[in-house]
Amino acid sequence: MPVTLAPQTQKLTDLEVGATARMLDAAVDTELRTLLRALGLTDNSTLRVCKRGEPCVVQVRATRIGISGRIAQHITVVRDQDMKIVPDQAVRVVPDSAGSAPLPAAR
Amino acid sequence: MSGTIATLPLRVALAGNPNTGKTTLFNTLCGLRAKTSNYPGTTTAIRVGAAAHGADSRLEVIDLPGLYDLAGNTPESTVAAKVLDSPVNPCDVVVVVIDACNLARNLVLTAELLAQRRRVVVALNMMDVARARGITLDVDALSAQLHTPVVPIVARRREGLDALRRAIEQAAYTEPMVPAGLPADATNLDALMSWADQVAARVIEASPTPARADVLTEHIDRYVTHPIHGLVVFILVMCGLFWTLFTLASVPMNIIEALFGQLGTTISNVLPAGPVRDLLAQGIIGGLSGTVVFLPQIMLLFFLISLLEDSGYLARAAFVMDGRLARFGLPGQAFVPLLTAHACAIPGIMSARLIPNWRDRLVTILVAPFMSCSARLPVYVLLISLLFPDPKWAAVAFAGCYALGGMAGLLTARLFGSTALKGTARPMVLELPPYRLPSMMNAVLAAKDQGLAFLRTAGTVIMAICIVMWWLSSYPRVAPPAEAETLRAQAAAMPAGDAQSQVQQQADLIEAKAAQAGSFVGRFGHLAQPVFAPLGFDWQLTVGIATSFLAREVFVSTMSVLEGGSGATDVDEGVVSRIRGMTRADGTALFTTSTAAAALVFFVLAMQCLPTLAVTRRETGSIKYAAIQLAYMSVLAYCVATLVHYGLTTAGFP
Repeated sequence: MPVTLAPQTQKLTDLEVGATARMLDAAVDTELRTLLRALGLTDNSTLRVCKRGEPCVVQVRATRIGISGRIAQHITVVRDQDMKIVPDQAVRVVPDSAGSAPLPAAR
Repeated sequence: MSGTIATLPLRVALAGNPNTGKTTLFNTLCGLRAKTSNYPGTTTAIRVGAAAHGADSRLEVIDLPGLYDLAGNTPESTVAAKVLDSPVNPCDVVVVVIDACNLARNLVLTAELLAQRRRVVVALNMMDVARARGITLDVDALSAQLHTPVVPIVARRREGLDALRRAIEQAAYTEPMVPAGLPADATNLDALMSWADQVAARVIEASPTPARADVLTEHIDRYVTHPIHGLVVFILVMCGLFWTLFTLASVPMNIIEALFGQLGTTISNVLPAGPVRDLLAQGIIGGLSGTVVFLPQIMLLFFLISLLEDSGYLARAAFVMDGRLARFGLPGQAFVPLLTAHACAIPGIMSARLIPNWRDRLVTILVAPFMSCSARLPVYVLLISLLFPDPKWAAVAFAGCYALGGMAGLLTARLFGSTALKGTARPMVLELPPYRLPSMMNAVLAAKDQGLAFLRTAGTVIMAICIVMWWLSSYPRVAPPAEAETLRAQAAAMPAGDAQSQVQQQADLIEAKAAQAGSFVGRFGHLAQPVFAPLGFDWQLTVGIATSFLAREVFVSTMSVLEGGSGATDVDEGVVSRIRGMTRADGTALFTTSTAAAALVFFVLAMQCLPTLAVTRRETGSIKYAAIQLAYMSVLAYCVATLVHYGLTTAGFP
């Protein structure tokens, strides 16, 4: 029987340096979202925080991406340790809708 | 198709993500045999070159703009699609340049091209870096997965290029195949990325420990993107850049000026006096000299920018400035054009190409001429010397002029951002490429490209403007004033010597003044004077404003000629004291505090450089933006200068 825990969603800006997390959502306009995707920040991609603050630097696969703090604060992630993988090995992330703040509206 | 391929050169497009060494591969293949031009109807540059291929055939290579994917609605992807599917001249083969250290992300673009059933060859670049990082790639397995040839190369060291050429030729005659397992919807980046991850996992063996280079990069990045340390590094790098620029460029600039000066003198001596001689020696040679003199500065600037970009620092520097410039609606990358514009607005506007977003680039181009360029310097020296004889206050006024120009530019960017070009600067998301030793070849070719682009504009539009402005300020010829004739008659009767030449010189100066006043520009000055009356300008100052449209420093020589002196542009004490003594028609002093201050403010803010407008037109692809720039800056300068004049006279200043 698949078990899916409700992981704690966080803002990218809340992660400490060295933390790894999975990309959940980015409440930004389509053009920026496409750019993030193109750079490798696709849904569920694993990222590692290399630097906090302005800019926030993350590593996705082999790409280091600098992200302005104004965007980073709209990116929602799930910490790797908060993830549970369902038995069929497919990664499914279920945000804890009761426990997390609503996402900012897309601009 | 194969029948034509045998006789025509193969048309090969180079595609790839930014920072994959695509430009290096293009330069290595084509060298100096390449031309850069904007894709028709756009401001996106593409480069076309020819590469030798075997003994008697060649490849026509097109360097597409760097792009992450074809799905994005960016100018780069639109141009790439147009080039690949050109109805007149479609590409035979697409070479996708891939960074071997970053396979998965680079495979997305490859997948899109394969899904379109194009003949693709994958050039797996930077294999040496991948090996050094402990990444092992199974090239054959990758080729099998993609159903397309994969050639490992090191473009920088010319390794693997023969194999690449062979693979291109083979691919041109092979029917393309879509790899098994490729997502059905090849426009869904998430699906493509996950496919690419799977392919990469099957062919890559990476060392589990991070490479030393990555650890070092992370340390350096924390320092150079830090809000305070990063700013210190930025200031040091920029000081180094501009110091190098001004120190090294001054040598060829002096040589060019001397050569053109010599050429002008030779023509004057050889040709008989008359309008043809004047046109050649003063109009054409003068115009050419005045523009070509900036060529070393432009080429050196782009050489240095290319080195900085290749080294990986430019992306970091953009982040240091992003937060600071964002308040004014400008992107972080705008620092290069804005700083460069302090030397000359022309290379400043040209370097705005670094800014990827069109709106951001346009705002930067529009405000760049507000920065105080080196041509304003002699005017500042003259007017500040008239206003502040005390060097301490003069220094403060100098800094004030630079600050006023800078603030006017930034506030205008903000104003445009909230009105006509609505939108804030796009918050930055930028790949931070690994630090690398920059490529000299890329830098030299970038300098050559930009130099040629400048010469094309300088040799056509800018030269035409210079000739027209020269003609307007030299014609119609007026008869020498009676006073000058009398002096000449006196000189003729005098024995040869110093006294005679002094009298002759005096006659020359009187004639020059009359010629200046009688020319079209001079007449325009008289005509337009009422418009400039609120600024306290008389007809002479208005003529000075009109002639400075050729180049701002001409203001100094015009005022000097109108005062009755020589046309030298150097501001020395003699010139300052003579111009200080200039009077209006009623005999009162011309350069009162309020008039000189109004003129100074006018020069800080006004768009008085037609060559810059020509470059704005070229870089924006529309004369509309050049017109907006001219109108906005002129109106702003006029209004602020009027306010300054009114404020000072009301406060009791003369």
